[in-house]
Amino acid sequence: MGAQILSLFPAANFSLIAVILALPLLGAFVNGVWGKRLGNDAVRVMALSAVGGSFLASVVTFIALASHVDAHIEGDHHEHVKLAWTAWQWMHTKAGFTGGNIPIDVRFSVDALSGVMMLVVTGIGFLIHLYSTAYMAEDPGFARFFAYMNLFIFAMLTLILADNLPVLFVGWEGVGLCSYLLIGFWYEKMPNAAAGKKAFIANRVGDFGLICGMFLLASYTGALDWTGIANGIGSLKDTTQDAYLIHVWPVGGGQYQGIFSFLQPHNPLTITAATAVGLALLLGCTGKSAQIPLYVWLPDAMAGPTPVSALIHAATMVTAGVYLICRLSFVFTLSPFVMMLIASVGAATALFAATIALVQNDIKKVLAYSTISQLGFMFLGVGVGAFTAGFFHVFTHAFFKACLFLCAGSVIHAMHARVHDDERAQDMRYMGALRKHMPITYWSFFASTLAIAGCPLTSGFFSKDEILYRSWVDHSVNPFADVLTRQKLEMFVPPQWLGPALYVVGVLAATLTAFYMFRALFMTFWGDEFRGWTIGRPSLVAAHASDDHDHHHDDLSVPGAAPKESPWQMTVPLIILATCAVVAGLIFNAGPINIPALHSMDHWLEPVFEPVARTVRLSEGAEGLTWPLAGGGILAFIIGTGVAYWMYIMEAGRPAEALADAAPGLYRLLLDKWRIDELYDATIIAAVDALADTSAAFDQTIVDGIVAKVPALLVSLFGSILRAFQTGVVHVYAAFMVIGLAFFGWFFVFPHPAATVTAVGKDTGDYIVTAAPGMGYQYRWDADGNGQFDSERTSDQMSVKVHLDEGKTQNVRVEATSAFGFSNSAAIPITRAASVKPMQLGLN
Amino acid sequence: MTAAAHEETSEPTLPPAPLHVGWREIVILGFFGIATAAVAKVAPDLIPLAVAAAVAALVPRKHDWTTRAVLAAIAALLTLFVIRMWPAEAGVLPDVEHPPYEPTTLLSWLIGLPIAGAIAILFLPRQTPGLLRWVTLGVMFATLGASAFLLGVPMGRGFHFNQDIAWMPQLGIRYHVAVDGISLWLLLLTGIIMPIATYASFGSLQARLKDWCFALLLLEGAMMGALVSMDLFLFYVFWELMLIPMYVMIGVWGGSNRIKAALKFFLYTFFGSILMLGAILYVAYTYGRLNGGALSFDYFELQRVLYPQHLQIWLFGAFALAFLIKVPMFPFHTWLPDAHTEAPTAGSIILAAVMLKMGTYGYLRFCMGLFPEASIQFGANLAGVAVLGGILYGALCAWRQDDVKRVVAYSSVAHLGYVMLGLFAGTSSSIEGGVIQMINHGISTGALFLLVGVLYDRRHTRQLDEFGGLAKVMPVYCTLFIIITLSSIGLPGTNGFVGEFMVITGTFASNKLGHFNGIQAVGAALGVILGALYMLGVVQKVFFGPITRKENEKLTDINRRELLAVSPLVVLVFVIGFFPNLLLAPMHDACVRVQDDLEQRAAEHAAPVFYTGPLRLLARKSDAPNVPAPTSAPN
Repeated sequence: MGAQILSLFPAANFSLIAVILALPLLGAFVNGVWGKRLGNDAVRVMALSAVGGSFLASVVTFIALASHVDAHIEGDHHEHVKLAWTAWQWMHTKAGFTGGNIPIDVRFSVDALSGVMMLVVTGIGFLIHLYSTAYMAEDPGFARFFAYMNLFIFAMLTLILADNLPVLFVGWEGVGLCSYLLIGFWYEKMPNAAAGKKAFIANRVGDFGLICGMFLLASYTGALDWTGIANGIGSLKDTTQDAYLIHVWPVGGGQYQGIFSFLQPHNPLTITAATAVGLALLLGCTGKSAQIPLYVWLPDAMAGPTPVSALIHAATMVTAGVYLICRLSFVFTLSPFVMMLIASVGAATALFAATIALVQNDIKKVLAYSTISQLGFMFLGVGVGAFTAGFFHVFTHAFFKACLFLCAGSVIHAMHARVHDDERAQDMRYMGALRKHMPITYWSFFASTLAIAGCPLTSGFFSKDEILYRSWVDHSVNPFADVLTRQKLEMFVPPQWLGPALYVVGVLAATLTAFYMFRALFMTFWGDEFRGWTIGRPSLVAAHASDDHDHHHDDLSVPGAAPKESPWQMTVPLIILATCAVVAGLIFNAGPINIPALHSMDHWLEPVFEPVARTVRLSEGAEGLTWPLAGGGILAFIIGTGVAYWMYIMEAGRPAEALADAAPGLYRLLLDKWRIDELYDATIIAAVDALADTSAAFDQTIVDGIVAKVPALLVSLFGSILRAFQTGVVHVYAAFMVIGLAFFGWFFVFPHPAATVTAVGKDTGDYIVTAAPGMGYQYRWDADGNGQFDSERTSDQMSVKVHLDEGKTQNVRVEATSAFGFSNSAAIPITRAASVKPMQLGLN
Repeated sequence: MTAAAHEETSEPTLPPAPLHVGWREIVILGFFGIATAAVAKVAPDLIPLAVAAAVAALVPRKHDWTTRAVLAAIAALLTLFVIRMWPAEAGVLPDVEHPPYEPTTLLSWLIGLPIAGAIAILFLPRQTPGLLRWVTLGVMFATLGASAFLLGVPMGRGFHFNQDIAWMPQLGIRYHVAVDGISLWLLLLTGIIMPIATYASFGSLQARLKDWCFALLLLEGAMMGALVSMDLFLFYVFWELMLIPMYVMIGVWGGSNRIKAALKFFLYTFFGSILMLGAILYVAYTYGRLNGGALSFDYFELQRVLYPQHLQIWLFGAFALAFLIKVPMFPFHTWLPDAHTEAPTAGSIILAAVMLKMGTYGYLRFCMGLFPEASIQFGANLAGVAVLGGILYGALCAWRQDDVKRVVAYSSVAHLGYVMLGLFAGTSSSIEGGVIQMINHGISTGALFLLVGVLYDRRHTRQLDEFGGLAKVMPVYCTLFIIITLSSIGLPGTNGFVGEFMVITGTFASNKLGHFNGIQAVGAALGVILGALYMLGVVQKVFFGPITRKENEKLTDINRRELLAVSPLVVLVFVIGFFPNLLLAPMHDACVRVQDDLEQRAAEHAAPVFYTGPLRLLARKSDAPNVPAPTSAPN
């Protein structure tokens, strides 16, 4: 079948990609423009058919890709192939040091990596769209919601399928825009709008890094598309070029003299170009994937509708950073320092976010921090060079985290039937015992919790375990190590203890993950008593109150109907996702336990990561460590789950309260998310604020004051002075006239000789000295410069001719005598330059 | 291709009463999709008509047929533009035998039509506002139509539509106009912005209509003239002529503090102009001395003069000061917020969209063209000013303003910082980015001022804290405002990104910025964050949150006039965002020429000393129009 598809759409012009992209865009357009008129039914059909059609096209594309891949396997070698489609030429830019022109095309391609992502986005996207049709059914902004969601799918597909960085950036900012619009979906609440803006700006900080990465790559590698970057990558490490090192301080590598020269270090601070590119791109990735230091926007992003959290802020958009690192793996691995930084940031974020999740009571906040923590695991994986493992975690995480969020949405939906306060409807302290009332939601949540906690044989176990194992045994190696050693240049080598340290941090975070996820499960679904409201036969009063839905005056102490399971549109996606969360690992892992039906992820992605395989070295005896290191992950699951069970089921939450009482400061600190938001407010944001205040004040007072007011003052000052002369008294005017006349008289009586020198021809050494004319002047000259005038008599001769040898100077003097007999003389030095001819130098 | 074209023209929907049956639109859309595809296959020339029909049919029912017709016409014209300007397939050689017809009088029509219209306005009765309006708009559309002929000629490196007539032969002053790939787009921008601003202004402006129409037409003629003048004297005449109508527009139809603002505007720009006049006279005189007494103000002749560096820096300084004040660049920018705040809406649109470009265009054409060594010598430092004082400082100041117009005014300072950075960096990519950023700024900022004017007409205030929650009552307006905001902050897919991206990458690749190319590219990229900060701040304060003021509860959404005025700009945001090559392809060679000229001169007399010998005349540039100058042959 794949071959037939390929005969219809050749691999070099695979225009089916256009369909994948165009359908969601069309859906967004139709729903956005005519949504209100179409009515909810038509909007639903449009949105679902757009994403569904896109999913079908993706499946067809994937089948074609698989057959294309199979056709290019030669023995063991597994060539990296892709299906590409060029839409049109977008723009171009200058290639910098190589001087050429880089065309930037609107070009898309599907390879093994983007193929998987494409299926995940459209598939899970479709399920979440289906779910949303029920979840958002009552919302007045139904059409707007689906317009944004379809637009998001379009942007995300653009990001994934892009064949070059600028087009990826279109999707990258596009998903950020949709995220902004959807977080602030209920814009009438100011906190939501503010959260959207915060997300956009935090993402923009990351985008700044991505832009820097783009211009660095364009300048060094002379290309911005994936193949071109891979081909030109050598110039990033070309140690023979000056540009190999980027001078951080002093900026650009200049040498300065002056009062600030003490700021100049003895040895300039430099980084290699590869590190600079890596750091810039990493900043972009931390922004989008919510890693330290830019993770702060993600918890606030939960202000959006819950399906949005599932789709954008858990399953797809936030993994874009990991995707980019995988996509440009060959750039990142050039710099072991950046790789170490990625791994460290990932490990730190995994642990840090997990500690916050321990004490949160809002079910969506728990899941939000859990997402940050899991993204940290992915970063850890790709940072140690285990790109497949990291990406595998992206894949499995998409299932279980989407499922968890949708379950949370299902619960919140049920709670909303009576609790209209958003915060309370999401607070786990008001839930409990829901497994009796919402069995499908419960079992889905349970399955996903097992997966995220790393229960053996579930998908999360396989992906997380692989990451932990590889974090211990992998060592990044500079791919240009031989060259650098030969040239005796120093290079960065990560410390030996890094691997074990990352492993320990990872296991610790995994333990906390198991704990807080089961805590959430127990608080929400277990226990004997539902804490939201009294369940019972609704009294007349209560029935009346619930009719009065809009007034939000529901008295929760009045008995009400039990929370109900959600409709099929919501439960079917839950079941599918939960099933995938459990079995996806078994099918696609490359370890000893798997169902060998399809390609393993390892095998499938092998050609993508082949160029970077040689940059990772396993430590000795890695084979023997497989099972011991897996033990850590299993232990983490057992301990985390056990402690949660003991704390919240056996002891019914009493130990948790006791702990909180024992260390109230720490508890508050965790509850307040380590007060990082406040820290940022007090430092960076305050600094920018102050800078802006200073700028505005400076602009008003100094710039406007000096540039506008000082000239005005000067003009009025001169005006005042001149006005003083305009007295209107005729005597004064007459006096000025007399003074003026006297001045002119003096000027005419006493001569003022002056002369100009003109060279004759080009460098002949002949000069003509011409005296300035004056009324009745007579002249005499001293042309030879001997100090004596050439004649005793004055004459009308106004000019003399002088000849000079090269490099000589001569003092010509002229004496002028006025008609009144007064005389005065002036000296005119003439110099002929030595025979240096600057013009010729310049012309040759 | 056509999706972007009719994407936003049909934006104005969301009627108050939702209907139960809404399949009509989907059916129509599907039908026209298939129809357009079929037409594209059978008769590609009819695509614009098909698009027009689709747009007319899909405009929501509450709009009358005139709105439909105008929106359809806009869609058809823009589609036609996209199709005609689509870059040719590689390998298709231009038809050498039959070069496209280049009427030499076309540029004179562009200048003459508005000025003749202005004079005609003087003879129309004051009591017939309808007639005045129609004549003004008619003349402007005729000018726009005439300027469309410019697109028929492939621009390449050289100059086209060259018209060179002796004006005051004794002084070497000639009426010499020509256009190249750079001024081409600025001319078209002027042609598009003027009718939009004029049409929008007719909604709210009643007083002294005749004078207003006269001022607008005179202004258009002067701006067109300044963009095509290839004679420095002629350029100066148009340059100053521009000043007067704008001065009057601010001073007569402006806000409460208009006199002061108008005076400030006039004095700032005039101060620079006078210095430039001195420099113009000096260079013409110098040329005369080198050429045996025959003066010339002709741009291509004056380009031949090679000045020693100590002289060149003064001449460069005089020119540059005039242009940088007009741009405006730090620290000469404070006239701009005041002028914008007090100017009427149309005045602000024209000022921001076109007049500020005269500064950047002038720098590109005259400073870099006449004084290449000096512009390289000062480029590095001026680029620092553009980044720190323009992009970053302008953005920070914009963030602190509480009047929407002042926010937009300071954002102009930031955006023009990008343009100037692109010019200072002097690589072909950064110059192209700078030029396209000029166009983008014209479109985005023009549209922003137009939209702010909508709000002002309703509430007679522009203070941010007077608004809040408007998304609820003005959904279409809010959508349009957000689209323009995104274009202004350079979201990829909109026009703003293309310019910023090309400027930033071009800056990093520049070899003219000394050690600082890297840090300046990074600084320019930082502006991306700040741009989001202040513009989204405005959006949040105006549109989101609950409606806090009673007056805002009954605001009406955007009306027909405002919608028609802003819709072409909104569509252009996406057309340029998706297909920037339509604009880049015709200007590419001209920008390469500018870069080549700079680098050739820098190679002959290298930095940092440059040329120190006596004044000399070089050979005429090969790209100059080959009408031989009537003065003597080159030495």
